[in-house]
Amino acid sequence: MKTDVIVVGAGVVGCAVARELARWNLSVTVLEAGSDVAEGASKANSAIVHAGFDANPGTNKAKFNVLGNRMFEDVCRELKVPFRRNGSIVLAFGPEDEATLRELKERGERNGVPTEIISQDELRRREPNVSSEATAALWAPTGGICCPYELTFRYAENAAANGAEFFFEAKVVNVVRIVPHGDYVPDAPFPYMVTCEDGREFTARAVVNCAGTHSDELNNLVSHRKYSITARRGEYLMLDRDEDGTFSATMFQCPGKMGKGILVSPTVDGTVIVGPTAEDVDDKEDKATTYAGLEKVKAGARRTYPDLPIGKVIAEFSGMRAHETTVGDFVIGEAVDAPCFFNAVGVESPGLTSAPAIGLYLAGRVAERLGASRKNPSLISKDVSWWPKTREMKPSELAELVERDPSFGRVVCRCEEVTEGEIRAAIRARVGARTLDGIKRRTRSGMGRCQGGFCTPRLIEILGAELGLSPEAFLLSRKTAPAALKAREAGNGERVTGNGVLDVLVVGAGPAGLAAACAAKEAGADGVLVIERDDAPGGILQQCIHNGFGLHRFKEELTGPEYAQRFVDKAAELGIPVVCGTMVLDISPRPDGSVEVTAMSPRGGLKVYRSRSVVLAMGCRERPRGALMTPGTRPAGVYTAGTVQRLVNMDGIMPGRRVVILGSGDIGLIMARRLTFSGAKVLACVEIMKKSSGLMRNVVQCLNDYDIPLLLSHTVTDVEGREHVTGVKVAKVDDDLKPIPGTEMHFDCDTLVLSCGLIPENELTKKAGVEMDARTRGPKVDPKTMATSVPGIFAGGNVVRVYDLVDWVSRDSEIAGRSAAAYAIQYGR
Amino acid sequence: MKMICINCPKGCELDVEVDGGEVSVSGHGCPRGEAYAKSEVTNPTRMVTGLVRVAGMRKPLPVKTRTAIPKGKIDAVLFAMHQTTVQLPVKIGDVIIPSVADTGVDVVATANM
Repeated sequence: MKTDVIVVGAGVVGCAVARELARWNLSVTVLEAGSDVAEGASKANSAIVHAGFDANPGTNKAKFNVLGNRMFEDVCRELKVPFRRNGSIVLAFGPEDEATLRELKERGERNGVPTEIISQDELRRREPNVSSEATAALWAPTGGICCPYELTFRYAENAAANGAEFFFEAKVVNVVRIVPHGDYVPDAPFPYMVTCEDGREFTARAVVNCAGTHSDELNNLVSHRKYSITARRGEYLMLDRDEDGTFSATMFQCPGKMGKGILVSPTVDGTVIVGPTAEDVDDKEDKATTYAGLEKVKAGARRTYPDLPIGKVIAEFSGMRAHETTVGDFVIGEAVDAPCFFNAVGVESPGLTSAPAIGLYLAGRVAERLGASRKNPSLISKDVSWWPKTREMKPSELAELVERDPSFGRVVCRCEEVTEGEIRAAIRARVGARTLDGIKRRTRSGMGRCQGGFCTPRLIEILGAELGLSPEAFLLSRKTAPAALKAREAGNGERVTGNGVLDVLVVGAGPAGLAAACAAKEAGADGVLVIERDDAPGGILQQCIHNGFGLHRFKEELTGPEYAQRFVDKAAELGIPVVCGTMVLDISPRPDGSVEVTAMSPRGGLKVYRSRSVVLAMGCRERPRGALMTPGTRPAGVYTAGTVQRLVNMDGIMPGRRVVILGSGDIGLIMARRLTFSGAKVLACVEIMKKSSGLMRNVVQCLNDYDIPLLLSHTVTDVEGREHVTGVKVAKVDDDLKPIPGTEMHFDCDTLVLSCGLIPENELTKKAGVEMDARTRGPKVDPKTMATSVPGIFAGGNVVRVYDLVDWVSRDSEIAGRSAAAYAIQYGR
Repeated sequence: MKMICINCPKGCELDVEVDGGEVSVSGHGCPRGEAYAKSEVTNPTRMVTGLVRVAGMRKPLPVKTRTAIPKGKIDAVLFAMHQTTVQLPVKIGDVIIPSVADTGVDVVATANM
């Protein structure tokens, strides 16, 4: 294939170059080794727009950092990407650091970056959560934060809208400059021949090398000026949205030889990012996290933020910086001995900040060299395949949108409130998502606190339906989805109810919600309504197909679906409407004592209900991998026990054949037996504590019955595999739960199941202003009435605290239902 | 012999002594524990819950043995479940496999589909 310019690499720099090039009369082709844009450093970095005081004056790093920083507002506005100039702070811990601050300030002045040294008092006033050990700080108001993969993605979309073509899984293995007469011929029409690993060939008039950690190899193919990139890994932790507002600025420590040190920063998504470490590694693709690395991140972050809450960690990940060792600076521009071969080599931090400036500069140089003319501005598309983000919309706008396209009313990712419409738009975009990770980065679905536990089964279904593939295909690898069978479309069983003020509105139609609704109705409440986000009532019990439920209440041993059905039937007998497929977005108490509940559904759109009382019965969720801080790579094949339970029992999908289970919670034990029944080999159940966290009866009948070893005082110390899990390392732990060196053993497995406990699900509870209990992680309730701190709002079931037995869930929820009815009758009517 | 009762979440630790044909149990919190211990040393049994295919759908139907079956028959029961495909509609309690694996116990549906 012939093209004017080939851009190698679809990271943020490559996509910025492509977008700027596409504004000239040039044909542009982007070749990317991975299966999506932003698969290298652009997806895993600190997401910081650096002010530019740090880089040495006169270097490319300084020049492009300062230029890029100034361009960021405009670029982000044009590309509709979130960006916030929150400012950067560098902390000093003592006189030596304070000297460094003065040096940085002076360097900033030479780079043209305004900074100011502030006192300890001023620092504490601005950032109350900062360590009291910090003695002074440097304040740089032009520092900012943005979303690096969203920027990359929109750059790519806009480039594609203007004609740039993207090829994925096109790993460049050779670049040859065709020199017909022993010397470069300026008018040789397509002097560069680029060959991909799969044999595809492209010829081009110019090549732009934006190959990240592999940019040295590409340059060295055509130029005698050799470069050498060392992959410098950085490990990070991500904290839950609960931590939003902990710091307003990006908190740096004084920089060292290896980089800018461990930072703690807000993100534009409302989470908090902590990291990175800096460690040179031999393998440029080795993006595993390590036990030692994460410990370093924690220790480093605690210097800035002594109260760092480890319980709020939702994910850990690592990224790779492309550190150039021969010049130690960005190498930007045309290679000295290879005309029309342009380099962006060694673009490490501040690479994200510099990307807009590098893109503009290189595109200009290429156009000049090729003698290209600018496109007529009126012909340049501004389109970036934008779609509405429902979680950021005003209720009235959202209502209108859902009416036009009901799929924007179906919430798929509960944690980040991402709707099916957004996910479909992300798949249908010009450079659309083709993988679970692609959807995650474009929509944030799966990026919240459950890390895909709930939405993964839905996402593979949507991907399958949109792309005409089998849903299982998307579980094979984080990166590619081999073609297979046609997927099926899911139905939606939703019913609609009338308006008016209700007596009791129940959020959640699991056993807790249904028990509360029935009890409220029996206690004399009139208008009782249950709202459920799933497509059918029954809650999590629908997927708990094992027996052992209901011994106390029904005096017989039922399976989960049977237990749930008893309450579904009872609610139906009592004439209680259950609205399914509807997500409650907000609960707010009104001055007149009633409560307003905002809910959204594909059919009904956005609807506001008013009720005299509300019972919260949202249940609980699983702790994700991030909360456990398991080191290793992040391949496909790691699931929480509940996700596996859903896949196997509800969707008829077997996620793997050789399984290791980490944690011995009841769901994990039950799934050990279920997976064995379904033909898998469960190699071991690994528990860090000295005893199982599950019930003894489950250890006996789920593990011992099938000779599955339970390894107590052991934990998983490494997860192996790039695409898919290939094995795990397990080690014994000491009394401090630290792995004991020399005790490692290895398991060859394709699946790691995490069963590490449950946390009450209380986003709505917090929105309603209900006082929380730090110990149970649920609302504070009066056990006699199950009343919360907000009058008229009651709570029942696992939303309050995680119960062992569903019989106690329904019992306590009935108390909540009766109290809610009494409240409505007494105060409301 | 020590064993843990699996009847309910309490998980009582049972002491079981077998003297000829006589089985004596202590440590149980209720009569079901005693019955469990006796059956565990003479003829251990288990409830089996599982899934069967539904014609024309990916989603499987959850099922269970109506009562416990001999432990040695678990594999045969699972095999019979794997061999079965049902037609909808199905209601809770419908017999899906009569006298599964010659146990005299029916496999019944545990969900309405």
